[in-house]
Order: sequence, then structure tokens, then C-alpha cells
Amino acid sequence: MIRYILKRFFMMILTIWIIATLTFVLMNAIPGSPFNEERTSNEAVQENLERHFNLDEPPIVQYFIYLKSIATLDFGPSIKKPNDTVNDLLARGFPISAELGIIAILVALVSGIILGVLAALRHNGIIDYLAMMIAVLGISIPNFVLATLLIQQLAVNAGFFPVATWQSPMHMILPTLALATGPMAIIARLTRSSMLEVLTQDYIKMARAKGLAPYKVVIKHALKNALMPVVTIMGTLLAGILTGTFVIEKIFAIPGMGKYFVESINQRDYPVIMGTTVFYSAFLVFALFLVDIAYGLLDPRIKLHKEEGN
Amino acid sequence: MKKWLVLLFILMFTFLVACTTGNDESSEGDSGSEDSNTEESSTDQEEAESDEESSSESSGKVLRLNNGSEPTSFDPPQGFNAVSWNALNNLMEGLTRLDESHQPAAGIAEDWNISDDGLEYTFTLREDANWSNGDPVTAEDFVFAWTRLLDPDEASPAAFLGYFIEGAEAFNNGEGSAEDLGLVAEDEKTLKVTLNAPTGFFLDLVSNPAFFPVNKAVAEENPDWHAEADSFVSNGPFTLSEWEHESHFTFKKNPEYWDAENVDLEEVHWAMVNEENTEYQMYESGELDTAAIPSDLAEQLLDNEDAFFVDQAGTYFYRFNVEMEPFQNEKIRKAFAKVINQEDIVQYITKNKEVPAKGFVSPGFTDANGNDFREESGDLLTHDPEEARQLLKEGMEEEGYDELPEVVLSYNTDDAHRAIAEYMAEVYSEELDVDVTLENTEWNVFLEDQKSLSLQFSRSSFLADYADPVNFLESFVTDSSMNRTGWSNEKYDELIANAKNEADEEKRYEYLYEAEQVLFDELPLFPIHFYNQVGLQKPEVSGVVRHPVGYLELKWASKE
Repeated sequence: MIRYILKRFFMMILTIWIIATLTFVLMNAIPGSPFNEERTSNEAVQENLERHFNLDEPPIVQYFIYLKSIATLDFGPSIKKPNDTVNDLLARGFPISAELGIIAILVALVSGIILGVLAALRHNGIIDYLAMMIAVLGISIPNFVLATLLIQQLAVNAGFFPVATWQSPMHMILPTLALATGPMAIIARLTRSSMLEVLTQDYIKMARAKGLAPYKVVIKHALKNALMPVVTIMGTLLAGILTGTFVIEKIFAIPGMGKYFVESINQRDYPVIMGTTVFYSAFLVFALFLVDIAYGLLDPRIKLHKEEGN
Repeated sequence: MKKWLVLLFILMFTFLVACTTGNDESSEGDSGSEDSNTEESSTDQEEAESDEESSSESSGKVLRLNNGSEPTSFDPPQGFNAVSWNALNNLMEGLTRLDESHQPAAGIAEDWNISDDGLEYTFTLREDANWSNGDPVTAEDFVFAWTRLLDPDEASPAAFLGYFIEGAEAFNNGEGSAEDLGLVAEDEKTLKVTLNAPTGFFLDLVSNPAFFPVNKAVAEENPDWHAEADSFVSNGPFTLSEWEHESHFTFKKNPEYWDAENVDLEEVHWAMVNEENTEYQMYESGELDTAAIPSDLAEQLLDNEDAFFVDQAGTYFYRFNVEMEPFQNEKIRKAFAKVINQEDIVQYITKNKEVPAKGFVSPGFTDANGNDFREESGDLLTHDPEEARQLLKEGMEEEGYDELPEVVLSYNTDDAHRAIAEYMAEVYSEELDVDVTLENTEWNVFLEDQKSLSLQFSRSSFLADYADPVNFLESFVTDSSMNRTGWSNEKYDELIANAKNEADEEKRYEYLYEAEQVLFDELPLFPIHFYNQVGLQKPEVSGVVRHPVGYLELKWASKE
């Protein structure tokens, strides 16, 4: 187990290094510069700025400066936001993005599983059709369309919720719904099909034959195994939620990290591009790692390492 | 059972992460303010809390605006853009302040004296002009602030605005020193400024946020005074009472402001919503008092009674690259310009009620005789497809073309620019029988290509930095960074240089009129329309002033 974790950890560092290098190369491949404004400031000032941000160095030197900044977790000052360092931006934006993302994933998990289980238990019944209709709608409607629809109907027309910004729990409901619906639909469909499969297994019949209470059969015996595919796709879903927050944050004017990610590329704010990309990829790689560990722990048939016995 | 527990444990763990990150956020805010202001932070926070309470009580005089995004900086010389200066313009005040008719009026300076040669300005500051912390606003504060504006180490993007001051350009280029600047604080309330040349619009220029004073004592003690609401000192109609970065900020009426009795608003709340549909929906639900008009809804909203239209000094135009074929030929340039019907573009494409541009300088500038510059200069470009075809034919003969070299029309990626470009391409194809290729690139790339003269025929825009026609026309002198056409004309350069050194206003305008004529005789560019500011504003809001050149003015704003 320890060896497996160490190996995975090494792979994670390698992945992040490759992502950082690719980002650096691509970033330098796009024409333009952070100081490229409609009005050009005088050359002396521009040179001062370039020197200040090490942009006058040859690319290979800049590359090592960036690598060093990643290694020391100090991404340096933002070029376009003179009052902030990249670390400031991450510290300010990430907790909010994480709050939104985690609430959305919890909502998606809980409601998706409940919907899936109900649908499976009432297979081909009215609840099944209803649940699957919701799921199909949830998968097919893009989250930004849903977001606009929710704002127009529930905030502007009905006045139940504030339209946008991130201030009170009431402000959180609409963006969470918009973000959670897609993953919820996927989880619901997945839970339903794997639940249906599990419910026909012999050991479930056995459990029922023994006279166990129906809810015990469902929760203790069936659900536990039916959830394995859900755990498997958690990594992909996390990535989906992460990219979803970019869009949702913009529509709802949520001060999260997504906008730095997009804005910094348009503005050629190189330290912020590197900082956000490396941070996001590190976060995602780590989340996938956690999912793999959890998967191994949940299902003893999956061996993480030869030496591990259960 | 054990595995079930593991799943539960993971769920709990994610929950915990959610909670702890939530805590991190709030504790982070606290430590931030402690860093900047150790002793006062607790009292400031209490104040901030009581502020919030009072804001919920006084519901009447609170204006709710959207700033779009986080201000780059509230340090006057740093935040050289609308997201910083629209707000800052209401926190601070310079020597002059633009009045409701966009003319410079007494601000922190109650009076001034101009020497006969127009080079020396002596400003007398108001006795009752104070900072929000109670300090008097002194001439030394202005010298300090303007020196920082020009300091090459500060690298202010707005520094060029100060080049009219003696010694400024040399200092900013690293060749001169701060001591040689034409700035003297003669006593606490007297500021003497020496200029390079008589600058008729200098009083207008100093109303610009780049020329706002900075409280020297505060700034020297804490260089980051402008980064947080707690440490921000203002001298204008409002104070910065709360600033939650990337989320929102709040202004309160400034009791220390010399003209506080004429400020009606109690508070201004600024949101940062960078999505026009959301902004409009917030306007509809009453969370905002003004909003831009989303382009999809323009047609139905422009006739809405809440809609407003205000002039903006600026021009939407196309640049010809006179170093690239076929636009080295004047007649071909004129053919491409004259065939376009600007009225059609304004009426059917942009649909924003802009004024079609028949010259480069926008309307609204009054010359020495009290006439509008644009009217006096007249229509320098007329729509005439018949003449355009003739000119194209002549031009091609002059160059010996049997077939016109390929023309690529470039614009930066944007739906509005694309619509105009497509219309133009269609007109060229129908009227001139010329097929142009459309090409679009992302803004930063586009700018770089345009500056390096690698675009043949490209979309452009100009927004005036200060209220004088020379600001428009100086763009096209030889090798100006705003020229970007390769065009050079000795007579034009001379006319602009003369205009910049002329103390006699009547003569100065003669030079400018002649310069615009020269520009349109050779036509290295052709204008499409002048800009305007369009938006929605709730009927209960009044007194918000939007200057053609300058920034949002809330001093006289009111809300019922």
C-alpha cells in the first residue's frame, strides 16, 4: 500500500511537471504581451516593467524561474493586478470555488443516488419514468442555459432568490442547482442501471429469502455494490464540476477562481496563467488519486498492489 | 460493513474540507486587515459592522451600480481604465472637477492664475479642503502625487498625460530628475505648475484621475494605503467604506468633503458582475439601478423609457496600411471609404443611435469662436458609390493593376465588429466588384499585428484621453504609437506641432482645422461612427453625469 502511494505520488509530480511545461510552451507560443494596450506606454516604462517581471530573460531562464516558483509554491506577483500576488488570488478565489464545487457535488451525489435507487426499485413504474426524464433533461441541458433559465424564472419573475453575487446562503441555491444538475443526472442513470443489475444477483434473492427487511436489503446489500461505478466516475465528475464552475461563476458573478483562469489568458498575465493551471491540475490529479485509493478500499477484488491482502 | 464506513468517512472528509475552507476564507480576511493596520483593525471592523446596520435602515439614498469587475487599482496613477477610474472619480477630487456641462470648474483649487504666456498656472487650494481622515489637502500632496505619476519606477501607464508639465517627459524616460519638474508647492495651499507649452485644455486635463492628489503622510507610512477600504483616505464626495475584493465595494458620503452639503446620496453600492445578461436581470429584479443593454435585447430595449443615450468623445474607424498594396494609392483608399454608407451601418447594423462620422474629431468641442469643431470642419467624407467606382478605376490605372491585389479586412474577434465587417465586405463585392477576405484574431494578437503594421486594412477605435481635438489628431503624426498606418506627412506634423505650441486659441484652432483637412485629403483611415454611451437607468435615479471625455460623476446624483 505504502509503495503504491509513493509510486502514485511520484506519478502525480511527473504529471504536474508535464502540464506545467506544456502550459509554459503554449503560453509563450501565443503572440501578444501583457503590456500590449491600445495606448502604448513609452518604451522606457515598458522595459522597466519587463525587467521587473523577468520578461526580458530568454525563455529557458523564464522556464526555470517558473519551475522554481512552482517548487516553492510562490507564484510571484500578478502582472495585471498590481496589488496582488498570484498566491493572493488563489487564496481569495479557491475557497469560494471549492465551496460552490463541494456543495454542488454533495447535492449531485445525494439526489442522484436517491433518484437512481427509487427508479430501480420501481423499475418501469411511474417513478422510474419520472426520474429518468429528469435525468435525461439534466444531461441534455447545458448548465449555462439552465443557469439563465433559473435566474429568469425563479429570481426575476418569481422573486424567490437574488439574481446573482455571492453573499448569503440564499445566493448559493441557484448556482448550486445549475452546477449540480448535470452530474446528478449522470449519477442517477448510473445508479439505476447498476442497481437493476445488482438486484437480480443471487445474494440479493438470498437476503430476501432470509426475510430481511426490504430497506436493509437495499441499503446494506444492494446499494453498497451498486455504488461502485459511481465511485469510478467521481474523478471525471470532479473535472466536470471544476470546468462547470468557470461558466457558472461568470453568470452568477461569483468571486471564485474561474475568472482568473480565463482572464489571465486574455491578458497574457503569465504568472497567473501558470499559477492557476498548475494549481487546478494539482488539485485534479490529487482528487483522482483519492478516488483511486477509495476505489481500492471499497472493493477488495481490486488489488492496488500485489502485497496488499484483505 | 467496514467498506461502508470507508465511504462514509470519505463523505465526511469532503464535508470537513468544505467547512475548513469556509473558515479559512473569513480568517484570511481578518489577517489581511491586521497586516495593513494593526491597532485600528478591530475598531474599523466594528465600524464596518455598524455601517452595514445603518445601510439596511437608510434605504432611500442608496445607489446600486455595477462596476463590471474588480478595479485594477485605486492608486490614482495605476488604475488607468474605466473599471478603476469611474469609481475613483467619486472618491477623490483634483484641482478642478468637470461640471454638469462638462467644463472644468473649481474643485480642490478654488481659484487659479494663468501667466500671460500661458505657461505658468498658480492654483490656490481651498482652506476647507480636507482628507477623509481630517488632514488638510495641501499643495505638497499634489506635488507628491504628480511626481509619482511621472516617476519611471512607478511605471504608471497614464504617465504620458503629465508630459505637458515642464521636465516631465525627460523624468519619465529616465533622463531627467524629479527636481527638474515644473512643480512647486509655494506654501501649504499654493501650487505653481510650469508647462512646456501653452496648453489651453490644462484645466480640463487636471480634472483627470491621473492628477488626483495623494495624502503624502498616509502614503509614506503605508505604501499600500489604496489597497484596502480600512486604510483608504479620500478627498472627494465619497469615502470607501467597504471593499471585498472581486465581490463588491461600498461608498459612503464623505462628511469631510468641502461641498458635502451638495452631495445627496448616502451610499453607493458597487457590484462586480461581468456578464451583461446577468447585469440586465439584476436591473430587472431591482438589484441594480443602472445596466448596459444586452446586445440580444437591444432592439426591444432601445425604445424603452429607461434607456439613455449620451455622447462619448471617440471614433470607430478603419485604418489603411499605406505601406501595403493596394492602399499605397490614395484613390484606391478613397474608393474603399466613399463606397461605404455610414448611415446604413448606424441604422441597420449597430442600431445604437450613434452619429455617422464625417470627420475624425467627434462633436462636442468648441473652438475659440464658440463654434462646434465638427460642424465648422464640415463633412470631410461623403458617401458616393459612383465616385468610388471612378476612383478605383483611376487608382488601378495609376498603379498599373489589371486586377486588384488581394485585400484582407481584419478585426478583433467580436460579434459587433464582425457584423460591420461583413456588411462592408458585401458592399465592396456589390458596388466595387472587389472580393475582400475577412479575418479576425483575438484582441491581444490583433493589437500586436496592427502595431507592427502587418495588417492591411483593420478595424480601430479611438477614445479621447483629454477634451481637446488635438488629442484625436496627434495620433496620426509620423511615428506616433497610435498612427499604425505607415502614413507620414510633413505638413501635418508641422500643423500639429504648431497647434501644440500656440497660445492664441484662434490660431491654434486654425492649425487644427487645417490638419484635419490634410488628414482627409490623403485618407490613411476612414471613420465609421462616433461613440456614444447607451444604457438603462431607473426613473427614480437622477443627476448621474456621464461626460463625453472623463469618468462617471455621482456628486450630484440623487435617488427618490
